[in-house]
Amino acid sequence: MSTEKSEAIVIRQADFSESSRVVTLFTREFGKISCLAKGAKRLRNAFEGSLDLLSECRIVFIRKQSAGLDLLTEAQLIQRFHPASKSLLHLYGGYYIAELLNSLTEEHDPHPELYASTANALVSLSSPQSPVAAIFRFELTILHEIGQLPDFRTCTICHSTISLDDQSRFWVSESGLICSRCGHSDYQQSAIESGTVAVILKLIESDIAKLDRLVISDRQSKGIRRILNSIIASILGRRPKTAALLKF
Amino acid sequence: MPARQTDAAQHPFGAAVGRLVEEFGRLPGIGRKTAERLANHILSCSKADAVALADAIRQVKESIRRCNVCFNLTEQEVCSICRDPRRDRQIVCVVEQPKDVSALEAAAAFQGTYHVLGGRIAPLEGVGPEDLTIGQLVRRVKQDGVTELIMATNPTLEGDGTALFVTNLLEDLPVQVTRLARGIATGSVLEFANKEMLADAMRGRQQF
Repeated sequence: MSTEKSEAIVIRQADFSESSRVVTLFTREFGKISCLAKGAKRLRNAFEGSLDLLSECRIVFIRKQSAGLDLLTEAQLIQRFHPASKSLLHLYGGYYIAELLNSLTEEHDPHPELYASTANALVSLSSPQSPVAAIFRFELTILHEIGQLPDFRTCTICHSTISLDDQSRFWVSESGLICSRCGHSDYQQSAIESGTVAVILKLIESDIAKLDRLVISDRQSKGIRRILNSIIASILGRRPKTAALLKF
Repeated sequence: MPARQTDAAQHPFGAAVGRLVEEFGRLPGIGRKTAERLANHILSCSKADAVALADAIRQVKESIRRCNVCFNLTEQEVCSICRDPRRDRQIVCVVEQPKDVSALEAAAAFQGTYHVLGGRIAPLEGVGPEDLTIGQLVRRVKQDGVTELIMATNPTLEGDGTALFVTNLLEDLPVQVTRLARGIATGSVLEFANKEMLADAMRGRQQF
C-alpha cells in the first residue's frame, strides 16, 4: 500500500454505508480510481464537502495492491462545478462528461491531457456561452485519448486524402469516413457534409481559446452529434444514459 | 438465496437465530458483531418484549403510507402537517426525503407546508423527473395558488439541478421560487471555513 496525492474530478458517487461513500474520481496522475471515502456523509469529515459530483479537488489516497477499493483519506476543494445559471443544457453537459469519463476510461490508466480537457470543458460549461463546442471538443478529445478517434482526413478504405469538396460519407460500422470513389451501397453509411467535417477538424485542431469564436450551425451541430453518438454507442455497445438529455 | 440459507443454517444456535442475525445485519450501520449482539438480546428478553418489537415493525409497514397531498409519511390519507389549519398552504417547502421534513420540523422555523419529491434528479443513476413527484407538485402549485416554493433539496450538484429543473418548469406560473440559504455555520470560525462556504456566504449576505 502506498499513499498518493493527485488532483481529481469527482465523476460518480454511491452510498456504501450509513456514513461512507464509494467515490469514482478521474485524477490527473492516475486516471480513473475508485475510493472508499469513510465518513463522507457526515457533516464533519476529512473531505470538506469537496466530493460533490464534478467538483475538482486535491486528494490523498492509499492505493491498494489488491483489487479492492483505494482508501480516500483527504480531499480539499479546488473548485465546484457551477453550471451557467438557469441552463439545464450546461448542467446536462456536465453529467454527460462525467458519464463518458466513467465508461470510456480504465482504472489507473492516466490521461493528463484528458484531465486538462475535462477541466477546460467544465469551465466552459460554467460560462453563459453555448456549451455545444465545449462538449464536442471534449468528446473528440476523449476519443483521441482512448485511441478511437476516426481519421477525418483520409478514406478508411483506400487511405487517400479526402478533399473537403468530396461528397464523403460516414461508415457507421467502421466509424470512419469513406470517399466518394469507395462508397458502396452495402455499407451502413450516412452522408456527411464537407462543412461538418471542416468544423470537426477545427474542433480537434484549434486552440481552446479560439473555440469561443467557432460558429457551428444547427445543421452542422446535428451532423456532428449524429456521428459522435454513433462512434460512442459502437464503443460502449449502448447509448450513454445522459446522451438523450443533450438536445442539440 | 441458497448461500444465505446455508449461512443461517450453520449458526451454532440454529437456523432461526442465524436468520435473525442475517436480518439485523441488513440494517444500516449494523455489522455482523452488532447483529449477533442484537440477536442475543432478543433471545434473552421476554417473549412479550420480542413480540412487541415484531408487532411494531409489522404495524409500521402496514399502516404507514404517503400523504395524498405532500407525499410525506403518515398513518392517514393526509398527514398532520397538511391537516393543520395554522399552516400556511401558500408557502411550500420542497424536500427530497421524508427525513428532511423531520429535520426541518425539529428546527421549528417554518410554518408553511411541505412537498416530498422522493429523491432528486440523478441522470447518472437513471433517476429522471418522471420518477419523482414533480408532476404532482406542479398540479399543487396550480390548484392551491401557491405563492412561494422554497427549494430545500440538498446543496449538491444534483440537488441544485433538481431545483433548477423545477424552477424552469414553473417559470410561467405566478409563484416565487426560492432556494435555502447556504454558507458558514453558526458558531464556526471564518478561518476554518473552506472557500466555497465563504463564497456562498458572501453571495447570500443579508442586510444587518
